Amino acid sequence: MSEAILKVEGTHTFIGQHHILQGISFDAKADAVTVLIGRNGAGKSTALKTVIGLLPSSEGRIMFKGNEIQKKKPYEIARMGIGFVPEDMGIFANLTVEENMRVAMLVEDEATAQRLERTLDIFSDLGKFWKAQAGILSGGQKQMLAIARAIVNDTSLLLIDEPSKGLAPILVDALIEAINQIKEYSVVVLVEQNFYMASSVGDYFYILDDGMVVHGGLMEDLVNDEELKSKYLGISKAAE
Amino acid sequence: MAEPTPVQIFRIEEKRKQYRSGSFFLKIGILALFVLVPFVFPSYKTVDLAMQIIMFATLVASFDILLGYTGILSFGHGMFFGIGAYCVAFLIGKYGMPSYLNLALGFVTAALTASALALLISFLSLRVKAIFFAMITLAIAELAIVLATGLSHFTGGEDGISLSMPGIFAVSFSIGDFMGLEITGSVLTYYFIFLSCLGLFLLMLRFTHSPLGRVLQAIRDNVQRAEALGYKTFIFQIISITFGCVVAAIIGGLYAMWVGYVNPASSLEVMAIMLNVLLMVIIGGMGTLYGGIVGAAFLLITQTFLPDLQNLAKDFFPQATLLHNVLERWLLLFGILFILVVIFFPKGVIGSVQDYISRRKTILLGKE
Repeated sequence: MSEAILKVEGTHTFIGQHHILQGISFDAKADAVTVLIGRNGAGKSTALKTVIGLLPSSEGRIMFKGNEIQKKKPYEIARMGIGFVPEDMGIFANLTVEENMRVAMLVEDEATAQRLERTLDIFSDLGKFWKAQAGILSGGQKQMLAIARAIVNDTSLLLIDEPSKGLAPILVDALIEAINQIKEYSVVVLVEQNFYMASSVGDYFYILDDGMVVHGGLMEDLVNDEELKSKYLGISKAAE
Repeated sequence: MAEPTPVQIFRIEEKRKQYRSGSFFLKIGILALFVLVPFVFPSYKTVDLAMQIIMFATLVASFDILLGYTGILSFGHGMFFGIGAYCVAFLIGKYGMPSYLNLALGFVTAALTASALALLISFLSLRVKAIFFAMITLAIAELAIVLATGLSHFTGGEDGISLSMPGIFAVSFSIGDFMGLEITGSVLTYYFIFLSCLGLFLLMLRFTHSPLGRVLQAIRDNVQRAEALGYKTFIFQIISITFGCVVAAIIGGLYAMWVGYVNPASSLEVMAIMLNVLLMVIIGGMGTLYGGIVGAAFLLITQTFLPDLQNLAKDFFPQATLLHNVLERWLLLFGILFILVVIFFPKGVIGSVQDYISRRKTILLGKE
């Protein structure tokens, strides 16, 4: 079994007075896509924000490549090689696509230039709209820009929060294809409510419920476990 | 040879278009207009108006670095302008003498004082929240007026400080006629300030178009996102604030050179200057830099010429008393004009035009 690049151990996170994460533990293995799934309010997005440092954990340990990162600032964590694509995509609406990409490049060297070209190969629409203001792109294009921005650096771990949210089915398929390409060179932790997408790209899964991990394992096992899907994800065989 | 990538194609295309676009010729036209003003309209009123537009356009652009490019509201920009004016006045007026060295030292002192104060305020306020910057600058700006008025033995109090300019900038200086215009110290001061403001404006353009400028805009759009991309946003905000405040202080020094007089009412009247600067940035458009030129021109031209309209109306329509009454209340007309600009250009004149062009470009790209 491959080594875990990210280990979250017994992590608690509060947002104001609310105890959102109540001691969650999960890991992200190398060369794989790990999907965090669960109902609304289960703590999936909070888990990603805690890993990147946007929300402070009050207890527990987060290890990235063997280093503790739970006390680090978001910019320090990002510079260690963790990319984050938030749920709202977080694109800079007043900047052009090019400026969005350039601002994401922490180093402008030959390797970054190559990664940029590779990224534009995956998301060819971005090349077309290179000089367009990012705020007026379509939802799918914005999502692609948000992911492209995260992978243009030497990112060894990519955290993506609900990329399929609000996208048309055809765009979800394009996104699945893109993530399958990205996983060739970066470990991905994905938060996803769309089970079709989660099962299409995921290798491992963790089900979160009320701020706790209640199940975890191989995605192919979850796909075949009707009881688990029905209990925690509200998916019945008839609905599929 | 390898096929050019999409990025390379865009860069080649950009370079090709750069010197052929309408906006390039418009910029050259505006520059030519300001160069020719003393020759074409040599009256003091017009030259002074052109000078005020140049200085305020640059001041608004420096304010735009903070508000439009970094998303930080400062009520102390007028104070930094005043600090610059007083530093120059101290060095060539009250505590020095009119010499080129003292003039240069005045500007250096202005830049150093402004940067030290901007750094201090930033460190005190930004660590907590950006809104505290606005509150602290407001408080310190008010304190600056109290100090400038109260410490009269040091600052000249409400009477202020009168300045004499050194060498070629002195009012009495003249090198004779050129193309029908007597080249006096005032004319040379006009061109010196014009070139200085142009230099500052180009520097600000370079600043905002640099990688640093892009990061600042990213911070303005979404601070958390910029942090998660790997930027220590606090440091970038401090750099931006300090740069904008230093530019404001230098413009203050140039202003002192032009008016030859500094007092709390003219140079440190923080809220009056800030109100004008805010109106100008709203009219011109935030986050554009060029908006400052439109905003300053609109505000200063209307403020200068609207009061004259009533005299024109009395000359041409002596019986139209209703028209005279309306034009007497020129501030009302100004208010209506301002409202119209805000309605038709919600992002300011330049901001709305840029927005329109950008949308059209995106639609065209989508059709390709």
